[in-house]
Amino acid sequence: MIDEYAAIEGRSSGYFKLLGLMGLLVALGGAAFVYIEVNGHGVTGMNNTVVWGLPHIFAISLLVMASGSLNLGSMSTIFAVKHFKPFGRFSAFLAIALLAGGLTVLTLDLGRPDRMLLIMLHMNFRSMFTWNVFLYSGFTVLCFLYLWSMFQFPQFTKVAGSAAFAWRFVLTTGTGSIFGVIHAREVFHSAITAPTFVAISLTSGTALSILLLVTSFRLTGRVLDLRLVHALRNALIFFLLLVLYLLVVEKFTKFYSPAFYDVEQWILTGSYAWLYWGGVVLLGVIAPLAVLFNHHWGNQMGGIVLAAALVVMGLFLFVGFVLVAGQSYPLNMFPGYEVTSVFQDGMEGSYAPSLVELLLGLGGVGVSGLLYLLGIRFFRLLPQKATAPEGWDVAWHP
Amino acid sequence: MTMATLDRRSVLGLGGAMAAGVVLAPGVSLLAAPVERTEASGDRRWAMLIDLSRCTADCTACLSACRKENNVPLFGEPSRDVHWIRKVEIRDRDRRRPAVNLPVLCNHCEHPPCVHVCPTEASFVRKDGIVLVDEHRCIGCRYCMIACPYKARSLVYHETRRGLESNPGVPIRSKGVVEKCTFCVHRLDEGREPACVEACKAGGKSAMLFGDLNDPDSDIAKRVRSVATKTIRPDLGLKPRVHYQGL
Amino acid sequence: MVSYPFSFVRFWLFVLSLAAGLLWVVPPAALAEGGHAHGGRSHHPQLELPQGKECVKPVEWMRRNHMDFLKQSREMAVREGVRVRSDSLKNCATCHVSRAKFCDRCHAYTGVSPNCFECHHYPQ
Repeated sequence: MIDEYAAIEGRSSGYFKLLGLMGLLVALGGAAFVYIEVNGHGVTGMNNTVVWGLPHIFAISLLVMASGSLNLGSMSTIFAVKHFKPFGRFSAFLAIALLAGGLTVLTLDLGRPDRMLLIMLHMNFRSMFTWNVFLYSGFTVLCFLYLWSMFQFPQFTKVAGSAAFAWRFVLTTGTGSIFGVIHAREVFHSAITAPTFVAISLTSGTALSILLLVTSFRLTGRVLDLRLVHALRNALIFFLLLVLYLLVVEKFTKFYSPAFYDVEQWILTGSYAWLYWGGVVLLGVIAPLAVLFNHHWGNQMGGIVLAAALVVMGLFLFVGFVLVAGQSYPLNMFPGYEVTSVFQDGMEGSYAPSLVELLLGLGGVGVSGLLYLLGIRFFRLLPQKATAPEGWDVAWHP
Repeated sequence: MTMATLDRRSVLGLGGAMAAGVVLAPGVSLLAAPVERTEASGDRRWAMLIDLSRCTADCTACLSACRKENNVPLFGEPSRDVHWIRKVEIRDRDRRRPAVNLPVLCNHCEHPPCVHVCPTEASFVRKDGIVLVDEHRCIGCRYCMIACPYKARSLVYHETRRGLESNPGVPIRSKGVVEKCTFCVHRLDEGREPACVEACKAGGKSAMLFGDLNDPDSDIAKRVRSVATKTIRPDLGLKPRVHYQGL
Repeated sequence: MVSYPFSFVRFWLFVLSLAAGLLWVVPPAALAEGGHAHGGRSHHPQLELPQGKECVKPVEWMRRNHMDFLKQSREMAVREGVRVRSDSLKNCATCHVSRAKFCDRCHAYTGVSPNCFECHHYPQ
């Protein structure tokens, strides 16, 4: 009996080059971490106004994509989209790989990472960070169990898959809530911040899955049925529309109340408006939708891959906006007053990322990439071929 | 009389003496060296009142006193210099009122958002209401800095070292942890006032009043009962402990 | 890869593990100083004796437990606000007047670096 799934050969020079690249990123990330550890955070671009920067953008994007990449598995297990079943193992493993990368960057950026274990010993259950410790570790366990069930115990796949699916909603809500519950920061304090994070995890996870599947299949010479990619495209369109809807609703609600005129005006026309309009809206939502709705581009592999790449970029820019713009907007201590002080009160924060932060962030990407590459080489994660049955087609085409 | 020929009475006597010794000995050693033990009381509610009519724009006595007392570091980088207390100038947008200059410091809120978000409980509320950062436990995640609406907290971005001007009685903070105003808790525990309040008095202004709100006879409790005071952003519901008169 | 005879590999593995084991057993100080008048045992660190009459706790107890003792009094002082003068680091300095001649000597010998002194002042 020939197994449907097979590990990749992993002996080509291309594979080793990729492996080497990921290893290099990890090494550079480690070096960056040591540099920051020894010299203090003063060597980064972060300051007392913008305290979370590029490493956190990478970390949170990787974590959001981790929960999102479980989509394919969930769609087949829970929503019984049978044609995605071959991608189940890939999906669960990718989730673990991305989670590992994101958590690496997050913990390595702490001011005192040598005290990290203290999080385990003294837990503050009101803190979203503590919740996230449990949510992330639980998610890893559930993804592992889901993977295991797909390998050996197919009768448990539905249970494990449902548990992982439900868990990831709580997890992404937890990630978004890190920001959404903070009353002090008017830019992202909102009940809808967490659902927006959930929606954007759906888009970016699906997009990253498309990118990795297309690339992996192409580089290993395996067959990937275009109709399956069309199905993924349709899912991506739906999720993008969901993100658009949530963004619109949030802006509409916020703009309705005069109390928020100042902050909303700043978001849409202030110094970070380029990031909002260009990054979040255009690159993240509108451009991918335009590509995917286009009759010519939306049906081609190239067009879909382009849209997926835009969506992933859009995620980074969205997280970047929430973090950097969210912290740069001055705290509103005296509403109706102009405030100045030597401590940059009333002043917009300024942030210029440094190289060492970029290397640290890329180190996380390297960890995830390395795990993925080794995973598909040593485990039977990818199907030998992914084809849809004869005569089957998606319900809608642009 | 050897141990082998002890009679019952002396055994009982010896045994009783030993037992008494074992029970009393710890107490004796404690009593022998009188120890000074102070304890923070949960009945207290420390608060500060700043009378802005006495606070002048050019005076920075509280700022320098705080920096000197607590070894608050300056790195020469405006965006990273640490300020536990700073002077803020506010100007009404419609220009209907004159500019106001006021010192802003950690408000030691009753419902502090920084404590809510700290993953390791390094930021905590002490029994007497003071919000402190346990520098031994802080992991430097900076979530508290995001959560504080008053920008009261700073990360120590560079290694700090003791110099000639450092106060030996107060520790410095190592890089990578978050610090903020402590209401000079080390002075409070000795029965003294925070350095800023003392400096303000010494400078002749006496704009800052510090005390226990729960003590009806304290100056601050009496003043709060008699004049209208405001806190910064009371709508946030944090119940700050720094009140301003004349804001 | 060339295949070596099993006995060859086994021999060198044995040598390696023996060397590793020896490193644990023989104090590195003895290896470094290479034999002296004390008959092979390394000398103890010479600590400057304190100036007071007696410590808050017996010497042997302090030797073993001063880390936990200080940690406990730290937790009480910082988090509970209970300050006991005799248990504080400041009080230690009234008798053990020099960090370099007392604390650091034993810490250097045992190879521990408590980071208390990164922040807390202790007279040199």
